[in-house]
Amino acid sequence: MTATKTVKQAKQPIDFIGYFLRVLIILTLVCLFVPALNPTHMSELMNEGDSFFTSGISYDGIAGGFQRAISRGYIEKSVLVYTYIGSLISLIGMVAMLAGCAMTIGEIRFKRLGAKIVLGGSVVSMAGLVFVKLQQPGFTNAANPERIKPLEPIGAIIFIVLVGICLLLSLLYLLKLPKATKEDGWVMEGKFRLFLMMAPFIVLVFLFSYLPLWGWRYAFFDYKPGQTLTMDNFVGFKWFTYLFENAATRADITRVMTNTLAMSGIGLAMSWLPLAFAIFLTEIKCGPVRRAVQTITTIPNFISWVLVYTVAFALFSSDGFVNQFLLSTGLATESQDFLIGNDGIWIKMYLWGTWKGLGWGAIIYIAGISGIDQALYEAATIDGAGRFQKIWHITIPGLMPTFFVQFILSISNILSNGMDQYLVFRNATNTSGIQVLDLYVYMLGLGSSNQIPLSTVVGMAKSIISVILLFSANKASKAIRGSGIV
Amino acid sequence: MAKTKEKHGFRLTSEDVVFNIINYTIFILFALICLFPFYYLFINTISDNSLVGAGKIQLVPKGIHFNNYVGLTRINGLGTSFIVSIARTVIGTVLMIGASAMVGYLVTKQEMWGRKFWYRFLVITMYFNAGLIPWYMNMSMLGLTNNFLAYIIPGIISPYNIILVKTYIESIPAELEESASIDGAGYFRIFRCIIFPLCKPILATIAIFGAVGHWNSFTDSLILMSGKPELYTLQHRLYTYMNEATNLAAMIQQGGSDISNLATQTSMNMRPIKFTVAMATVIPILLVYPFMSKYFEKGIMLGAVKG
Repeated sequence: MTATKTVKQAKQPIDFIGYFLRVLIILTLVCLFVPALNPTHMSELMNEGDSFFTSGISYDGIAGGFQRAISRGYIEKSVLVYTYIGSLISLIGMVAMLAGCAMTIGEIRFKRLGAKIVLGGSVVSMAGLVFVKLQQPGFTNAANPERIKPLEPIGAIIFIVLVGICLLLSLLYLLKLPKATKEDGWVMEGKFRLFLMMAPFIVLVFLFSYLPLWGWRYAFFDYKPGQTLTMDNFVGFKWFTYLFENAATRADITRVMTNTLAMSGIGLAMSWLPLAFAIFLTEIKCGPVRRAVQTITTIPNFISWVLVYTVAFALFSSDGFVNQFLLSTGLATESQDFLIGNDGIWIKMYLWGTWKGLGWGAIIYIAGISGIDQALYEAATIDGAGRFQKIWHITIPGLMPTFFVQFILSISNILSNGMDQYLVFRNATNTSGIQVLDLYVYMLGLGSSNQIPLSTVVGMAKSIISVILLFSANKASKAIRGSGIV
Repeated sequence: MAKTKEKHGFRLTSEDVVFNIINYTIFILFALICLFPFYYLFINTISDNSLVGAGKIQLVPKGIHFNNYVGLTRINGLGTSFIVSIARTVIGTVLMIGASAMVGYLVTKQEMWGRKFWYRFLVITMYFNAGLIPWYMNMSMLGLTNNFLAYIIPGIISPYNIILVKTYIESIPAELEESASIDGAGYFRIFRCIIFPLCKPILATIAIFGAVGHWNSFTDSLILMSGKPELYTLQHRLYTYMNEATNLAAMIQQGGSDISNLATQTSMNMRPIKFTVAMATVIPILLVYPFMSKYFEKGIMLGAVKG
């Protein structure tokens, strides 16, 4: 303990260069993921959605759009290969820079080594960048510039400047840092060691949970797949108003919202069912039967929706079990495909959801029941209470808090029915009745119509409303029972 | 508990008898409804294919054979899908477990630089998502379309599981860690030698949930792998087969009788094969389920006390 304290006091002068260097390196690494700053983007044939990172890790990212150009001899293949090699080298250098950057938060020995690694990394990275930049004449002087459509990548300059500053700064840092003495060990404060262990996971969270928010910008552009986002196709809130001004989309939205709210509404109205299931299941006093029923009824929860659909197909299609049975017993004269058409689709979807989820949904209440004090039941029995009186006056009040939390959560999820179930059950004849918001977003954006901006707008609205619903539900829960749910 | 049982044993009124009969009937019926579809699929895969085609197999299998299962190996692409599904389930689950344990441990360390901030940074992500299209654009920007890593990397971090592990670690006596750190063990060593072994019960639970999730997921395959059928998961394969069947059915309904006969024929001949593929995707789950069900139940309870 005392040792770390003396180390702290020794480190009086604030490490400005170190701070600045770390910020700069992180900034450089963030730029790696910005497609607009991709230094390899030297021709319009290149996919503008690709960032420098993508170019560096996959040759296809660079050469994907050039297959025809190469085969027709418009451009030398070597130019593309060299560009890729340059990017890869630059990327490796940046990985080293990151590693060095992490080391500089340690004490003096770590700092010196970190600075050296940053220096080496930035030299390598710079070499790669310059090599990429040197390939530019290959694009501008290509055999057929009209087809290649050369571009001037602004990213190259920005990266060269950033990496250049890192290089100079790390050199300066190395010169300024005092030499490590004999007693200086390889020390890093615990808080920083912990942070470094955490850092890779933070990066993952950022990449897959926060970075997608950047995609909301598509809502403000007139974007078609394969285009670039430039100020020319910036349209402001056009798609937001389009959603309500265009008669067709307005009708779609109304229909989709009706489906979504209807299906969630049925779910909410029937949310007592798992509770009832649990209560009556515990009334089965024969242990093996009760456990067997509980185990069997939870199985469907663990199979995928595709499989549920296969089951539905096997049982209810025109040559499925139900029809075979009805025909062979003479109850029907003509087979009928129950999976086709819109009739009662909301109820059907609810029933499939129940088949899959009822047993599972009940487990939480079964556990709740076993947590209720048995003395209450015994006292009630002595007082002459019957089975239903005990259920009504002891079991149900005991389960109410759990039920309440579940209910509030399902209210906040009212717009999120998920997509899997409706996607697998959808066909040409029932789309209008089955399309819920999640499925609509999918079909609008990734289906045949490819309306990326419009679909982003709908998804955005859904996300925002869901968050508001969740926090309102949490507030309501706090007001009613004094504790929140999130 | 024994006492109440005894009471019920002794005083069965006629009302109780009626109640029990109705109650048992309803539950056993529901259990049968949950089980029968699997049985029906199964008998249709092992019965004589021509009888299946004629719709003759309803309750008992006839002409038992296993050629359909042998025939699965001959379906193009099914083998690779099987490997893809197994690979993503195993690798994805192992990495998820490792990350959940590690992060769950790290966020319990009060002295970490910016612990509160990073913990919130992580937990908040449970309550919002950017939406499908921005997610897709992001994945394609990161080069994760038509790429096996797309199945693995995004699933490594699961905030919900991390919270479960964190709660569990907080219940482990702090003295264990303290004594190890006095003996000179570093954070990673403490994690590896003390925390990780002690967390095994909770890790087993989340492992099972993670594995089932990986095995069952097909929308990521559907959305991200459109250009590479060799990376389709087994569920996605099944989905494409079933989709063909549905389209055929819809076509039959709209089209004339000529197509109808032909199409019905093909669709009927395909039935046993499709069901066999379905059985192949469900059998792993049905096999492990009886052994794992106690973990499943433990899992939902952990979720319940989280609040």
